[in-house]
This record gives sequence, C-alpha cells and structure tokens, in this order.
Amino acid sequence: MNSLSATSGMEDFATTFANAVHGGLDKVLGQSGAAAVLSHMKMTSNLPDPAEFHKELLTLFGKEATLSLERAIVRDLVTRLKWALELLSIEGPFDFNTTMLKIQKGMKR
Amino acid sequence: MTTRKSPGLKPLVQVDSEGGTADSGADDLAETRIAAVLGLKQFTQRPVRTLLVKGLAGTGKTTIALEILKAAGKGKGAYISSRVPKELLEMQIPAMKKTLQNHEFLDIRLEDATSALDCVIQLTAKKVRTIVFDSWDGLAKELEPKERLRAEKTLMALANNSGAQLVFVSEEPGATTIDYLVDGILELVRVEEQDRAVREFIIHKLRGTKIPQHKYLFTLLEGKFTFFGPYAIPDYSNVDKFVRRPDIDGSYSFGSGALDRLFGGIIPGSTMAIEYDENVPYSALRTIELPPIINFLSMGRSAILLPLPGANDERTNSILTKTLGKSVVGDRLNILNVVRTSDVETTQMLKNVTPNEIHEMVTRETTRLREKSKDRSVLLVKSVSALENLFASDLDSLLEVTSQEIITLAQSHDAHILFLAKDSPIRSRILSMSSSYAKLFVRDGTVLMFGVKPHTGIYVLQHLEDPTSPSLTQMV
Repeated sequence: MNSLSATSGMEDFATTFANAVHGGLDKVLGQSGAAAVLSHMKMTSNLPDPAEFHKELLTLFGKEATLSLERAIVRDLVTRLKWALELLSIEGPFDFNTTMLKIQKGMKR
Repeated sequence: MTTRKSPGLKPLVQVDSEGGTADSGADDLAETRIAAVLGLKQFTQRPVRTLLVKGLAGTGKTTIALEILKAAGKGKGAYISSRVPKELLEMQIPAMKKTLQNHEFLDIRLEDATSALDCVIQLTAKKVRTIVFDSWDGLAKELEPKERLRAEKTLMALANNSGAQLVFVSEEPGATTIDYLVDGILELVRVEEQDRAVREFIIHKLRGTKIPQHKYLFTLLEGKFTFFGPYAIPDYSNVDKFVRRPDIDGSYSFGSGALDRLFGGIIPGSTMAIEYDENVPYSALRTIELPPIINFLSMGRSAILLPLPGANDERTNSILTKTLGKSVVGDRLNILNVVRTSDVETTQMLKNVTPNEIHEMVTRETTRLREKSKDRSVLLVKSVSALENLFASDLDSLLEVTSQEIITLAQSHDAHILFLAKDSPIRSRILSMSSSYAKLFVRDGTVLMFGVKPHTGIYVLQHLEDPTSPSLTQMV
C-alpha cells in the first residue's frame, strides 16, 4: 500500500469521503437525486461514518441498488486519491465499510 | 312497482308510472364505475410498481391517476402536483374532491427536481402505498437528458425498494427515457369516430401481466373514469321482468328508458332506421329490437317482426313468452321469418315469392292485428337485410314496396323500425325516407350507438340490468 499513500492528497479522509459520496451518488442518481438522498439523510454537510451511511442507503434503496451506489462512491474516492482500484486488493464479497477502512488506513500511511 | 314474480308463472310486465325512472342511467353508470374501479384494483395489485400515464392535454390523465389513487385506499396514497394547486384540482374534477381530501397532497409547483425527489423519498420512507406524480415531465424538462435519466432511475429504485406504486403523469406523447424504465405505460387518446369524440386508452406495456386486450374505450362522465370491456352477450336466463312504459307526450315508448331518453320515443307514423356494421353482435341488435315489441304488446297493442338473418326464433319466442305470457304473444304478435321457406309455406305463399307478395302478406297481417290492438296501432319491426338476401336480384321492387309500407304506416299512425346493414345497397334510399336514424358499430370490442337523426352524442351499449334492454352510457 506504499504506492497508494504516496499519491494521497492533502485532504483528510472525512473530506475526501464526503466528496466521493457526492461524486459517486451524482454519477448514479444525478445531481438532484444525490442532493435529495443526502438531504433526506440529513447528510448534506456532515457525513457519518461509512457503516452508518451504508445502513441509511440500504433502507432507502435496498441491497442491490446500495451495492451499485457504494461501488460508485468507492470508484470516485479512488479516482480522487489517484489510486488504482485493483491495488485495494479486497478479497471476498464487496463490503463498503471494510473497503472504506482500508482506504482510510492507506491514506494515513 | 317492483314486486318480483317467479318466472314462468305470470306475465312479468310491470308498469313504470313515472315513465322513465326505472332503469335509470344513473344506476347504469354506477354499475360500470364499480366495475372500472374493481378493474383498477386488480391492476394495482399486479406486479406493476411504476406506471406511466401519458396523453395530450384534456385526455383524462389526471382523472385516471386519481382513480388509481382512490383504489389504493383512504390515507394510503399521496398526490404530488407540479401543475395545479389542490383547490383548483378539486374545482376541475369535483367528483374526485373526496379522493383528494383522503390522501396527502404535495404542491411542488415552485420546487425543483431535488425537492420533488425528496418528496418521493419521504413518502416512500413513510410507506405510502401509491404516489401520483402529476406531472413528472413538467419537472423533467428542466433537466439535462443525462440528469433526467439518472433522476428517473432514482425514482424507480426508490419505488422498487419501498414497494410503493409510483404513477407518473406525462403530457409528452412521444417515447421518453422514462418509457423504458417504468413497468407499465397507459396512453390516453381522444379520437374522432363518426364526427363524435371518443376516448380510448392504450396499454403499451404492463410487465408481468397478461394483456388480453390492449385498447379500451372509456368515458369521463360525471368526472369519473369508467372504462368499457368488450361487449358481453347477456344472460337471458335472467329475464325476469319488464317495466311497461306508457306513451311519452303522444309518442310510443321504446320500452327502454335509455332509448326513450336518447330518442324521445317513437312518433306515431314514423319510421326509424337502425344501421349496424357487420361486427355488431346479434344480441346487441336484439336489445333494440325487442323492447319496443314487448312494450307495444304490454300496452295492449300488436306487433309484427321480420327478424334479422340468423335470428334464433326459439330464443326470441322464449324471451317474449317469458315476459308477456304465451297468450299475448300468440294473439297479438306475428313473427314472419321470410328467409325460411317453411314460413312462406305456412302463409300459403309461393316458393318464388316476390317483394310485392311479402308486402301484401305484411299488409294482411297488419290489418288482422290492427283489429286486436287496443288503439288499432301496430308496430312493424323489419330486417331489411333479410329481405335483401331474399330479393338480391330485385332490389328496386323491394325498395318500392318498402317505400309503400313507410307511407301506409305513416298514414295509419303505426310505428316502423327498420334494421339495415351498413353496406346495404338500398341504404341511402331507406335512410332518406326514415324520420329518425341511429347507428351501431363496434370499436375495441365495445358496441357504440348514436343518433344521426336526431343528432345525439355517442353511447356505449351494454346489458347491465335487464338482458333484453340496453344500458347506454354516454362517452364524454
């Protein structure tokens, strides 16, 4: 993960995560959809931790749609960090919280 | 007035002293409306989560959307309006005022797409069962194509997860992005038929649902959506009563409240032509043919019937006997089936009978039955088609005797009803001699009727109460 940390920017994880959530949701739901979802979750400025966010998405969209949205968020985040997605090398089924923790760890290095 | 008697014991004619209150149009309408709403309930219970109701302005989209909302049940739906405030909608569709009051109403006329989506999210989170979005395209037009598609996908995902049914109302007649996303598409159109407007809805798609028929007629009579399924042959085993209708201001009653209301009765001495196309079922014609005969006989008068080709004489006799009693039918009604040689033989006519001989036979019978009629008036109900078939090579003579008959019957103040096919070669001549003229035809499996002389609106013909009598619902 050294190569990952080398490309991380100046932003802290919370800011990067917030931006990625907006970016990822925008790509799938559109700007109005993303804004409506975040407004409903009362997360327009302060995003909670990934686990809480995952729960909220699950309630609104169900399992399959949540998976698509979370993948979009991860893709956006990785792009922002200028990382290569495959470098995350996550094994097993996709888990948003685990992925986020891994990225957060990588950024700290 | 409405005491029901066991069939087959006594004649089942009752007097309608009000001259038209029984068999009221309002009752007819209530029945069809109930059927429509039940139909919609079934529809909403099917695996269709997202429905697009599209059509041009004034086609009835809002009314149908409100009917779907109504079918969801009190308090279980919400109406998101981007076009009109609640008060205005209640004024425009007063019949739906209660429905609007029974459900949540969200006025988003000055809101943007984000707020609209937020509304849907909130409603789905509250487990609202049916959400009507009237209209979606009003807001969607403000979005870039890609943004619109994404917003629509968001709505679909919300509907699918929450189990809510989302009904989008759209004025965009062409296919848009949402057409590909929704589970069902209904298009409402207003088409011109015989110079009269009829409403039709087309089911373009209904995922997971078998569509036996994709086009139906509907009316917005009294501000309510009522659709019509294909014409159903009545169950004649239910023939159990007949409401006798007295004369209306000097005119003979048709024996049907619906027909009397439409044409105002039969003026003594007049000829009425009933034109029908080849798709009109015989039972629909019978429902115009029999009530005047039954009523004439029940009023103590006499009648002659020259049935339509293919008519089942036994059934006709059985219906008439059931409603009037054997003695009345035997005494004051003569059914002359000219197409059958057996009938010609029984009347001692030659096998190579001519139009003039038929005319003489009818005249003889009219004279005989006149003597038995309470006021010497006779009703002649005649199928021109049957005679055309018999005298295909001598239509001029047929026209000549028909003309004579019209004059004779006019002078004697009798009533004359002629049935003729749309493609009859002597149609225009017959129509020019007729004092009134009605047409029957079929569209989307539904039988429609209207008056040309006098000019009337267009009506759907059904059998909602009495199988022998028509129920007419106006198309508006």
